[in-house]
Amino acid sequence: MNMGCLNATTLSCLKLATTFAFPSQPSSFHNLPFIRRAVKPLSAALQTSPATSPSTTKDHDQASRPQWKAAIDFKWIKDNKEAVAANIRNRNSDADLELVLQLYDNFFNLQKEVERVRGERNAVANKMKGKMEQSERQRLIEEGKNLKEGLIALEEDLLKLNDKLQQEAQRIPNMTHPDVPIGGEDSSTTRKLVGSAPEFSFPVKDHLELGKELDLFDFDTAAEVSGSKFYYLKNDAVLLEMALVNWTLSEVMKRGFTPLTTPELVRSSVVEKCGFQPRGNNTQVYSIEDSDQCLIGTAEIPVGGLHMDSILAETLLPLKYAAFSHCFRTEAGAAGSATRGLYRVHQFSKVEMFIFCRPEESEYYHEELIKIEEDMFSSLGLHFKTLDMASEDLGAPAYRKFDVEAWMPGLERFGEISSASNCTDYQSRRLGIRFRPSEAPVASPKKSKGNLAPPQFVHTLNATACAVPRMIICLLENHQQEDGSILIPEPLRPFMGGRSVISRKS
Amino acid sequence: MKMGCLNGTTLSCLKLATTVTPTFAFPSQPSSFHNLPFLRRTIKFKPLSSALQTSPATSPSTTKDHDQASRPQWKAAIDFKWIKDNKEAVASNIRIRNSDADLELVLQLYDSFFNLQKEVERVRGERNAVANKMKGKMEQSERQRLIEEGKNLKEGLIALEEDLLKLNDKLQQEAQRIPNMTHPDVPIGGEDSSTTRKLVGSAPEFSFPVKDHLELGKELDLFDFDTAAEVSGSKFYYLKNDAVLLEMALLNWTLSEVMKRGFTPLTTPELVRSSVVEKCGFQPRGNNTQVYSIEDSDQCLIGTAEIPVGGLHMDSILAETLLPLKYVAFSHCFRTEAGAAGSATRGLYRVHQFSKVEMFIFCRPEESEYYHEELIKIEEDMFSSLGLHFKTLDMASEDLGAPAYRKFDVEAWMPGLDRFGEISSASNCTDYQSRRLGIRFRPSEAPVASPKKSKGNLAPPQFVHTLNATACAVPRMIICLLENYQQEDGSILVPEPLRPFMGGRSVISRKS
Repeated sequence: MNMGCLNATTLSCLKLATTFAFPSQPSSFHNLPFIRRAVKPLSAALQTSPATSPSTTKDHDQASRPQWKAAIDFKWIKDNKEAVAANIRNRNSDADLELVLQLYDNFFNLQKEVERVRGERNAVANKMKGKMEQSERQRLIEEGKNLKEGLIALEEDLLKLNDKLQQEAQRIPNMTHPDVPIGGEDSSTTRKLVGSAPEFSFPVKDHLELGKELDLFDFDTAAEVSGSKFYYLKNDAVLLEMALVNWTLSEVMKRGFTPLTTPELVRSSVVEKCGFQPRGNNTQVYSIEDSDQCLIGTAEIPVGGLHMDSILAETLLPLKYAAFSHCFRTEAGAAGSATRGLYRVHQFSKVEMFIFCRPEESEYYHEELIKIEEDMFSSLGLHFKTLDMASEDLGAPAYRKFDVEAWMPGLERFGEISSASNCTDYQSRRLGIRFRPSEAPVASPKKSKGNLAPPQFVHTLNATACAVPRMIICLLENHQQEDGSILIPEPLRPFMGGRSVISRKS
Repeated sequence: MKMGCLNGTTLSCLKLATTVTPTFAFPSQPSSFHNLPFLRRTIKFKPLSSALQTSPATSPSTTKDHDQASRPQWKAAIDFKWIKDNKEAVASNIRIRNSDADLELVLQLYDSFFNLQKEVERVRGERNAVANKMKGKMEQSERQRLIEEGKNLKEGLIALEEDLLKLNDKLQQEAQRIPNMTHPDVPIGGEDSSTTRKLVGSAPEFSFPVKDHLELGKELDLFDFDTAAEVSGSKFYYLKNDAVLLEMALLNWTLSEVMKRGFTPLTTPELVRSSVVEKCGFQPRGNNTQVYSIEDSDQCLIGTAEIPVGGLHMDSILAETLLPLKYVAFSHCFRTEAGAAGSATRGLYRVHQFSKVEMFIFCRPEESEYYHEELIKIEEDMFSSLGLHFKTLDMASEDLGAPAYRKFDVEAWMPGLDRFGEISSASNCTDYQSRRLGIRFRPSEAPVASPKKSKGNLAPPQFVHTLNATACAVPRMIICLLENYQQEDGSILVPEPLRPFMGGRSVISRKS
């Protein structure tokens, strides 16, 4: 769910700096020619960093010793550098591919050097086991000591190089589905159009006016108690929120999703691993004082974290969750007219769908998620369009993103009410979520570890089932009656005690 | 709702340091205050510096708090005259509550303040007199002398006014620590002195080994604490499967039950300005604070909806006809649980984040005791209808927390824990919070035999009384329901009232 991406802002921007894990790389990596000569000095590699934007530099300074590693497939990037470069261009990303490849080569070579020196040191240690003259032994001890010191220095360099490599590589956005339109907001294409704008025989009111007459909200007092863009819901608006959440959960559960409620405070590293940037300029994320914890902007984060650092049995996949949580967003940098009333708020309730699946199935489940959303919005009688978001509007984790924009008569335009992203393995490589394929060993009744296929990264998808404030806007504005009352859509009535109208309290 | 007060901890501790501007809300004070003899001579009040030095040895945290809050942001409308006139009762109250408020210092500061204020008024008077004199005709030397005198008076006035401001700050800071008075029926003493008002039901008997909620939850795949500890930290959790449905059912049912009784439903902000937290009687920045603060901001996370609901009418004068105002608020609550250690922390019993439905009443002073009884009755009715075995306690004086005049806690039997555990709390805060939040009402008494309303005939505004009570704290309710309704096969019977809210289901069992 990328509600902040109406103007492609920072909600899904990449966080920098991790250490890398080799073991999961395909073994061909180790077949590169062994380069004996000195590798390019570390300092020169660092100096070739391009002029970075001030915020990026500051971010790097703040995150000097990264806490976690992303399992990035460097070999694949190297083998597909044209495609990766084109993708970076299409997405208007500030990742520096050349630097990454250079750092990677350096790292690879330096690693080889480290191995070589280790080898020499081991050789010396072995030599010393035999009989020899005192002078020879002394010479070997000296050599061993020099090699050890050299090794320590090289290993330090390797660590720093690794950090730098991770930091730069992390900025590389996910690849892009071939059908995604290239360009900015205006290039997004409409996949589907449902319903039509209602016609009113009376002057249309916006949700704030309707809410005022029906005593549904209080923004003014909330501004004093908490600050602007906070609100109280009152009376029937509370019942409407409960009805929306209850109905949405039940609809999504019918389709096989496991219901969840989640922590709303999470460690900032988990936020980063999902592709968000807790400490960047204009961050969307609230941080807790004297703590490494942040408030979540979407349940996508704690749900993604549910299986972090795990290897799942293939038979468990797909795992489908429907999570209900409150969400908190600073909305820093969001100004202008699209901020009135419930349209842009700091805190709201949301039901989020999340799927962990096998790679070959993610496109299928992306279609399933958007279909679920479209079915639900249709049954509420909304007029909406589904957009295939253009490359510059994707946000780093998303391979492909479908946004739904619903007609809001009071605003006289379409407004985003949901977002469905296929993040392929972008998040799982950072969260460390893999599955073990359950293929049977060939003609071998005896299972041995060697015969099991190596674990692979899952694909993850997330989609908004219901973002309550924007749904409230839609329902109030679309279903308003001439007398100022609101007709409740049929599916919600059982969840509102059978009531069919929201009207002025007597 | 004072869930942190099982061991009388800091959830409702008083926050220090506020300002009262010299133009203090005297209008609402009884006018007799102004009848004190006017002291013309130099005030023999203790100099400000020595007044400050007579502060008692304060705990390090108090000193630090004062330093941190050097220029307080808001004023509490404390009735100093009343305190002075009732100093024995106030002193005795401070003792029985084991409070560290320093009454002598407050009275001393108040006298100093009062006298200094008189002095300021006197000097102002003299300066005005000089200004008036200068309007007439006079010789140049006389005029010059008057100008000098006026200048001196002005400078002296500025200095005095600064002192007055500082004295006022100190007075507020100390006076804020004075806890609310105590209902005469409240037992005096610590935890063990609390008395049982009511006992409902009896502990269920089991013909099989009883499991606690964690074990039951594990078998039924209801919670995940381990992953939450990695994602967020200890005392966080995911609810899964039927536990989610149970939470929704509890919330929906509770809201509907309380709405039936005339309460207005609300959802509230969960981030609030720290000043509002303080005005409700909590201490956002003390040691072992229960309150999470937001970085680079004056905002905090709420520990209870009591705070944003109290703030709903802050700095207002309500028409009497509006009272009582009854709200039922659903929110998530966040508590650091700093300082809470030991065995009472397992599983859902003590967590950092939970859902809660809270009742809140604003009413006329003479009605608060009536509504306190109404609130506890609503709670007892709801817990009874869920089939719980529980007792209602009249909390003893040391366990009240500063804002509460009287507090009833409900403790329900938790078979898995093999003891009673607090599931709710109902407090009558009388005017403690309203004096800080600035919530008053204008009595609507008709002027005597006067058809023409004039401002002078309206009664002056008075402070409302506020009450708050837990309608449902979800995690502890879940503990109660799981542990009390467990079946031999590990499934859980859903109490009747909740079944319609769980799609008619009557059992929570292992997923097939």
